Amino acid sequence: MKKKVLATLLVGAMAASLLAGCGTTVETTGSSDTTTAPEKTQTTETAEAGEAGGSDVSADITLWTYPIGEWGNAETVDSLIQDFNKEYPGINVTVEYLDYTNGDDQVNTAIEGGQAPDLIMEGPERLVANWGAKGLMVDLSDILDDTDKSEIYESVLSACVNKEGATYEYPLCMTAHCMAINKTVFEEADAMQYVDAENHTWTTDDFFKAMDAVYAHTGQTVGAVYCSGQGGDQGTRALINNLYGGTFTDADHTKYTADSAENVKAIQALVDSKAIGFDASIAGGDEINLFRQGVLNVAFCWNIAQQLNADNNDAGLTNDGDEILFMAFPSEKATDTKLCGGIWGFGVFDNKDANKIEASKLFIKYMADSAEGTPDAVLSSTYFPVRDTVEGKDLTGLYGDVQTMSEYSTLMQYLGDYYQVTPGWAEARTAWWNMLQQVGSGADVQTAVDEFVGTANAAAAN
Amino acid sequence: MNSADVFVGLANYKELFQDKVFLGALKNTLIIVVVSVPITCVFSLWVSSVIVDLKGWATSLFRIVFYLPVVTGSVAVTVVWKWMFNNYYGIFNYLGTKTGIIDQNINWLGDERYALACIILILLTTSVGQPIVLYVSALGNVDASLVEAANVDGATSLQAFWKIKWPQIMPTTLYIVVITTINSFQCFALIQLLTSGGPNHSTDTIMYYIYYSAFKLYRYGYGDAMGVVLAIMIAILSAIQFKFGNSND
Amino acid sequence: MENKNSTKHPSAYKIISIVVIVILAILFTFPLYWIITGSFKTNAAINSTTPIWWPKEWTLVNYQKLFSRQTAPLFQFNIPFSSLITGSRDLKLTLTGPTVPAAVRWLINTVFMAIMSMILTCITASMAGYALAKKRFVGRQLLFTLIVCAMALPKQVILIPLLREMSSLNLYNTIWAVIFPIVGWPFGVFLMKQFSEGVPSEMLEAAQIDGASEAKTFLQIVVPMIKPGIGALAIFTFINSWNDYFMQLIMLSSTSNLTISLGIAKLQAENATDFGLIMAGAALAALPIIIVFLLFQKYFTKGITMGAVKG
Repeated sequence: MKKKVLATLLVGAMAASLLAGCGTTVETTGSSDTTTAPEKTQTTETAEAGEAGGSDVSADITLWTYPIGEWGNAETVDSLIQDFNKEYPGINVTVEYLDYTNGDDQVNTAIEGGQAPDLIMEGPERLVANWGAKGLMVDLSDILDDTDKSEIYESVLSACVNKEGATYEYPLCMTAHCMAINKTVFEEADAMQYVDAENHTWTTDDFFKAMDAVYAHTGQTVGAVYCSGQGGDQGTRALINNLYGGTFTDADHTKYTADSAENVKAIQALVDSKAIGFDASIAGGDEINLFRQGVLNVAFCWNIAQQLNADNNDAGLTNDGDEILFMAFPSEKATDTKLCGGIWGFGVFDNKDANKIEASKLFIKYMADSAEGTPDAVLSSTYFPVRDTVEGKDLTGLYGDVQTMSEYSTLMQYLGDYYQVTPGWAEARTAWWNMLQQVGSGADVQTAVDEFVGTANAAAAN
Repeated sequence: MNSADVFVGLANYKELFQDKVFLGALKNTLIIVVVSVPITCVFSLWVSSVIVDLKGWATSLFRIVFYLPVVTGSVAVTVVWKWMFNNYYGIFNYLGTKTGIIDQNINWLGDERYALACIILILLTTSVGQPIVLYVSALGNVDASLVEAANVDGATSLQAFWKIKWPQIMPTTLYIVVITTINSFQCFALIQLLTSGGPNHSTDTIMYYIYYSAFKLYRYGYGDAMGVVLAIMIAILSAIQFKFGNSND
Repeated sequence: MENKNSTKHPSAYKIISIVVIVILAILFTFPLYWIITGSFKTNAAINSTTPIWWPKEWTLVNYQKLFSRQTAPLFQFNIPFSSLITGSRDLKLTLTGPTVPAAVRWLINTVFMAIMSMILTCITASMAGYALAKKRFVGRQLLFTLIVCAMALPKQVILIPLLREMSSLNLYNTIWAVIFPIVGWPFGVFLMKQFSEGVPSEMLEAAQIDGASEAKTFLQIVVPMIKPGIGALAIFTFINSWNDYFMQLIMLSSTSNLTISLGIAKLQAENATDFGLIMAGAALAALPIIIVFLLFQKYFTKGITMGAVKG
């Protein structure tokens, strides 16, 4: 009996499943075609109507947002939506909060499951380079009028619009990612002499000297190049690129250049430094946690939202009360540092429902392009606006009275090229982690970097 | 989705067996199975043989204790294990350095040499529960008079075990081997929550790589092809196990 | 139990074994201990770099945080076919419960999922197993072969087709998308067939001669005889569905539809910094099922053994 069952089991399992593997997905930039999509295919031309009398639009839309400052906090977002509903009572917005660990998978399964959200809030590397490039997003050019185009900073706009001129992200806010040091410990270790605390900059030489000084003082790893994956990748990239002036991609954003001599030298220097460990068991979020706990004395995954975070202690202090100083990444000449930017805004998934698309556009216009909604929407992100004025309202003084913000804005001048829209970004990002993990396990730097660039460029060429 | 489904014949399979990551995942999957299945079986048989002779309440107590990680659920258990293995303040490093077993902190989950072993250890704690329940019951059902007779004939307890008990619990063993094998092959939550396949693909398993290919790289057909290979492997292994089990009868 | 041999010599081997097993038992249950105590620790205690084995100061703050973090309606029930009334596919009539902490909703979802899977599996599997064992019909052998094949097929193989299937049934991101694949897993049918084989055919024939209807025969003769099997299957299905993380991860996305396992995973991803909160979530996930397990421990043990013997 058993043998017979087994025989049928074997033959059947093989036959039944062999076919399953024979299909492949050839990616095209066609439009999404889910079986569940309602039979409405008329295109939207009604978006502009929103400005006039769109308040009678009625729709249920979903917004999925990553934790972008307080946009990850339900209370804040609820109050923003309440304000929005005063103007558009018919539009019911349901919000889902994503995280950087599983968020992408969640969106991807939802797309595959035919239930992509209507609105999504993140940056160009996802909205433009990933989902936009796959033809899943709605072109928002119609709500980006000429005034908007002239107001939004050039560099931001170019990241949100793809090469064919389609706008897949309507930008809301931006910041520069930086690093942070535990100033109290640095002082104890007599390492503050290497830090330009006023300008928040330092040279590569001073950086390593400071690291060694702190290491000699504490006897413990000072900073960790976290590489378990998922989130915070900009910190590791900016650190490596800046040390000796390397770049991550070419200027046209067509191919990856992380294998340059400068980058290899930088990675090697980090590997050789006793004060810095490569840690494949932690991700960016864990690193921040360890830094706050005082285990690590340097964090490479930092920005203004972290500096203002007051969950465990007053803003700008570690859990034990040590002072946190945000710093630009070190480079050979301190002021040559190029910080990685973050640009956040809204995109609309093409779910083939004209009504929902229109409602989504109204939402975007209210949050990112209106005198009433935009200031609060930007403030909630704890980042900086992407334009000086919106619909005649001045945004430059938005954070006028917050001292940390104005101090932090000195870093904005170092904002570098927004290269995260290079094709193949999602693959490149995972390959990047793997490269760091290899190097951390003692692999030859040049070999590992070559492999990374090979994988990333192959993905870029697809 | 936004992709044209094209019949590509065996292209996916061809690529699969040239894919270093897949081959690595295949290897890791096999390591997990080859290590965890025998250990689970031997360990649970040993525990069962000891606790089955205890007083009724003690037997139940141990059975419950070893079954608890199963009911607690892999996700809840995993979050604690992640803390226990932590590089900086985990309990293993704390106890290890305190007692002098290790001289400096080990990055358990962040080191290629240990990560897979840690995964296997956690997998073991969540998989011995059922085998112990089964073995205790099977050993309890062994005809006591046979064992006594053997003892009267001067057999050592080891001999009595091999000659009398072992043949009688053979069907249970076979069942345990099969279910443990299938479970080990499908180990996913631990990997996804603890290491995401890293460091350097050292804990990638086929299961995880299927998920990864589909939802991170958008290669659905490729993921399907891997699933098929996994299915065939499980089928072949079950076949071998059944054959082995039957020939012992 | 009354093994004279072992009681005669409480041998060194035995004593050492028991000591080792006790140590291992502690290691095995340590995560659970740590979840429960950790959930009551203060932030300082839980973030301490030297482990605090027993909380000096007990606090409920982690649970407060967990319960105030996110909210969800207690239940949401789409009235079937309501789109026929409203005339639009998008406008469904929904019954929505009062707002509760999301964690409570996750727990409810999980319980609903596990119990629903259990009930549906037992009903379908016992009927199918009986038919396969006792009825003669065209294609029976083929059907059984297919079922056995499907049993060996790991769920991951059919992951993507299954996702698309659920999507086209409009079930993606509903708890049913997790329940149906569990109910469709044919191990139950296989098990029930094995049990139904044991029902004497003479009894069924006698019932037929007495004029009992098909339903009556099944309910009054077959079911009582395969009851132990149904019990075993129920327990199997319950544990499997409670612990089935993979399907849930793929099929569920919105906060109010998550299960408790997914919820903790999400808590961990969102708040890597807040261990107390994560422990509170883990405790909430673990405790109910552990209590159920302890209460019905005997049945669990019996069920597991029974399933193995026939499977």
